[in-house]
Amino acid sequence: MGRPTSSSSSIDSPNHFAFSSTASSQRDLTTDLRLGLSISIAPPFVRYLFFPIAYGTDAFTVHNQKIYIFREQWPPMKAAVAEEEHECNSSTFYVKVYMEGIPIGRKLDLLAHESYYDLIRTLEHMFHTNIIWAEAEMDRDHYEKYHVLTYEDKEGDWMMVGDVPWEMFLSAVRRLKISKC
Amino acid sequence: MQKEMAYSFPDEVLKHVFSFIQSDKDRNAVSLVCKSWYEIERWCRRKVFIGNCYAVSPRMVIRRFPEVRSIELKGKPHFADFNLVPDGWGGYVLQWIAEMAGAYPWLGEIRLKRMVVTDESLELIAKSFKNFKVLVLFSCEGFSTDGLAAIAASCKNLRELDLRESEVDDLSGHWLAQFPETCTSLVSLNISCLGSDEVSFSALERLVDRCPNLRSLQLNRAVTLDKIANILRRAPQLVDFGTGNYAAELQPDVFSNLAGAFSSCKELKSLSGFWDVVPAYLPALYSICPRLTSLNLSYATIQSPDLIKLVSHCPRLQRLLFLIQVLDYVEDSGLEELASSCKDLQELRVFPSDPFGVEPNVSLTEQGLVAVSLGCPKLQSVLYFCRRMSNAALVTIAQNCPNLTRFRLCIIEPKTPDYLTLDPLDAGFGAIVEHCKDLRRLSLSGLLTDHVFEYIGTYGKKLEMLSVAFAGDSDLGLHHVLSGCESLRKLEIRDCPFGDKALLANAAKLETMRSLWMSSCAVSFGACKLLGQKMPKLNVEVIDETEPPDSRPESYPVDKLYIYKSVAGPRFDMPPFVWSMDEAVKILH
Repeated sequence: MGRPTSSSSSIDSPNHFAFSSTASSQRDLTTDLRLGLSISIAPPFVRYLFFPIAYGTDAFTVHNQKIYIFREQWPPMKAAVAEEEHECNSSTFYVKVYMEGIPIGRKLDLLAHESYYDLIRTLEHMFHTNIIWAEAEMDRDHYEKYHVLTYEDKEGDWMMVGDVPWEMFLSAVRRLKISKC
Repeated sequence: MQKEMAYSFPDEVLKHVFSFIQSDKDRNAVSLVCKSWYEIERWCRRKVFIGNCYAVSPRMVIRRFPEVRSIELKGKPHFADFNLVPDGWGGYVLQWIAEMAGAYPWLGEIRLKRMVVTDESLELIAKSFKNFKVLVLFSCEGFSTDGLAAIAASCKNLRELDLRESEVDDLSGHWLAQFPETCTSLVSLNISCLGSDEVSFSALERLVDRCPNLRSLQLNRAVTLDKIANILRRAPQLVDFGTGNYAAELQPDVFSNLAGAFSSCKELKSLSGFWDVVPAYLPALYSICPRLTSLNLSYATIQSPDLIKLVSHCPRLQRLLFLIQVLDYVEDSGLEELASSCKDLQELRVFPSDPFGVEPNVSLTEQGLVAVSLGCPKLQSVLYFCRRMSNAALVTIAQNCPNLTRFRLCIIEPKTPDYLTLDPLDAGFGAIVEHCKDLRRLSLSGLLTDHVFEYIGTYGKKLEMLSVAFAGDSDLGLHHVLSGCESLRKLEIRDCPFGDKALLANAAKLETMRSLWMSSCAVSFGACKLLGQKMPKLNVEVIDETEPPDSRPESYPVDKLYIYKSVAGPRFDMPPFVWSMDEAVKILH
């Protein structure tokens, strides 16, 4: 752990104890995201935060000093031993995808995709259709060839895919639905 | 002569009398009366509770109590729940099982908390104890479904298998099928921690079918809503039920089937589970709500008027665990509703659903807790997360609820002051300890100076457990607590400016406590060594994952420190990142 080593700082200095920072508090977002998705990242197990992590820092600024706190350690909540509703291990995140009119759904690994464009391409291929999402352009005369892509978020609401940044989508999505226009 | 007559009861009479004395405290008192009472008592003690598995060795326990039938052990310190204790720290149960296997062939009950339990340990349990009845693994880890299969297969009279909040390695879902067809004795089964592949549902159904005494069943998240009705119809005698997933597309026949199944459970008093709640299915519970005394909705991530409405249907509720979601910048916590409907409420736990929220200004406020304190006079136990608090609110809560025994408040941002006055929250927590004379457990948060500890030391005479984070100004704070809190057993501190002075001045106090945890404080390595030297009845352990503490100057603060009283001496299973300050143990790592 990084600690101030200046000889002038005494043990009683309030600065002395506040830093719990290390390079690992600057983890990249992917790791944070994995924590948010309740995916264990190291064997044999790692306690992880169940609650979704949205954009934000993992530092608090108090009296103009940054206190870095590992996300697993504060606030003091026991990580729920949340079993993934979708099959997950350290590098996959499968969600169910249903197309309207077809009772049998498919499963898709979202982490195998890097962006919305990637995802849309896979879905168009999987379901042999043209997908409408937030950034798609549609040929209005041939709407029967298109399907709208929506997703169910953690609150149970159905939202159009593509409005929020990709990482935020990953932390909120539970399943996908492709409906007729 | 006359003195002898007082002790002339035959042993059998004393044994019979002692058999009515169940509490550990009373039994310990009995054993101190005289030598013959000590002897008689130790032969008839059947239940042993060991709050710290390193405080005593298995051999010592077996030597003193040769006829134990039930044992409870706790391993890691509480802060392990928040990942402050590194993996591999310890808390292994295997040696205990191995020694007890030889000494206690009639051992029937093992209850473990925060311990590392391997498949080997479970297999040993299955093999060694012919009358094994109860296995509770609370927050344990290190085992897989193979170990569970061994237990299921061998324990013919198993009554209780409770795996709550444990980490289980998923190898196969078929372990449940290992319960023989002749096993009909199950009373309690909690598999809520298991993953999707770890339970064979048909085996579960058959098991539930043949266990008419099953009273408590907690399913895991993989069990879908449509399956709940099947289970409930097989076990209408259930008192305590944990659903799996509570989500499905709304279908009228599924709904009515579920509602019917619930209503046939006339004894059902306690519910939990509720992963992924779909609000439309909550009304299926309405028929049993009037009887409910305990409701755990801490996994239900969907906040909605339906959830609040559910609670308002439960007038007999005594215990509520609740996940708060705040929508649209308006606090709609439902706690006011709770306060007006649930007059019997004794325990309330409120968790935030979004602790690192995108909009931290969206507030979880003190208002909900104040409302509950006003409306629920029987409130005893509180765990409450929020983003703002005031001294005035805390004083109100203290005055409304003088019967509080447990009060744990977590203001999410460290060092948050009173939002009205910007003062520290010393006076508010002071009021809590002053008015709640039976307070046994307290967790602090917010901006706090040494003054709060002065209040705690003055008034917290019954306080047994105190949790402190980001608080205090100097050693004086720690000194107030160690010198004033007569009943203190467990003290856990993180990120506070407490150093050597208070600790060394109150070293003797540490021998009267179970344990002390200090991390990211200012206790020097030198002071730890001194404590280890001077206090042979204490185990002083320094935890540092980055480098050995003696590679730095002695005045340098240690990263983490765990001190506990022990008659077993320093432990032998320390990993490389734990150093014992006991003089007898050379620092060899």
